[in-house]
Amino acid sequence: MIYNLYIFDQNGTCLYYHEWNRKRSSGMSNEEETKLMYGMIFSIKSFVSKISPTDCKDGFMNFKTNKYKLNFYETPSGLKFIMNTDVGATDVRALLHEIYRQVYVEYVVKNPEVLLGHSISSELFKKKLDEFVQSSSIYSKVF
Amino acid sequence: MADDILFDLLHMEMIVSVFQPDSNDCKKSTMSKLEQIGFYTGYRLVERLTKDWPRFKDELDTMKFICKELWLWMYKKQIDNLRTNHQGVYVLQDNSFRFLTQLSQSKQYVESTCKYLAFSCGVIRGALSNLDIKCVVTAEVSSPPACKFQVQVQRI
Repeated sequence: MIYNLYIFDQNGTCLYYHEWNRKRSSGMSNEEETKLMYGMIFSIKSFVSKISPTDCKDGFMNFKTNKYKLNFYETPSGLKFIMNTDVGATDVRALLHEIYRQVYVEYVVKNPEVLLGHSISSELFKKKLDEFVQSSSIYSKVF
Repeated sequence: MADDILFDLLHMEMIVSVFQPDSNDCKKSTMSKLEQIGFYTGYRLVERLTKDWPRFKDELDTMKFICKELWLWMYKKQIDNLRTNHQGVYVLQDNSFRFLTQLSQSKQYVESTCKYLAFSCGVIRGALSNLDIKCVVTAEVSSPPACKFQVQVQRI
């Protein structure tokens, strides 16, 4: 079960947000929520790497509560993908990597009409992302 | 594998940089600039591509060469449909044109799609010009990523 997805660029601009199954809203505007999300993730990432007792390889990957799991994937270019799933979902990082590779690179990077650094306006990207997420096994499995 | 995207990105940047300084009303002159770039590219390209080929029997044969070999070289696929009225007008239809597949598959961005076809129109015109066929090439996009190139041969 996938709840929602955020995509941020390296400056903290929210490029895309989409929800599939969100039952509870956070009570603040979308802009505030994305700013809060980015700020929090940024702090967690630096906290995790500072506190780590051994050598850090991947850094922050996910956090879990008893109701949901927040998965994080960052590309070498600084693009951040954050996906909330239910607790039992596995291999979400691989899914996020595939979303980056097959949907983002194809339909945003290679699309000359989409301005990098602004929120994504391409309908084709939205359509392909939706198809990709809904066809993944994580979306259909409910724990 | 990596060099396919090089051509796509170069083409994208070429269009962006040719259009940028003339943001007000010189759209026609920038389109013709792009078409000129395509013309000379096509002219030289066809010289290189046909160096081992025998002479073409007739105009239709030349058009078939453009649809198959030239398109294969440039866009890694062939033209899907060629129609003619046998009086000098040919319509080449490509159902998934390389520069449009990542752009849109619906009506979004349809006004700006002509920019991405100008270079290719020029390539066709340049290639035919070097094969001794003078023509005028126009393109239209009705439902991306499919597009049609219309070639009108000018017989003196």
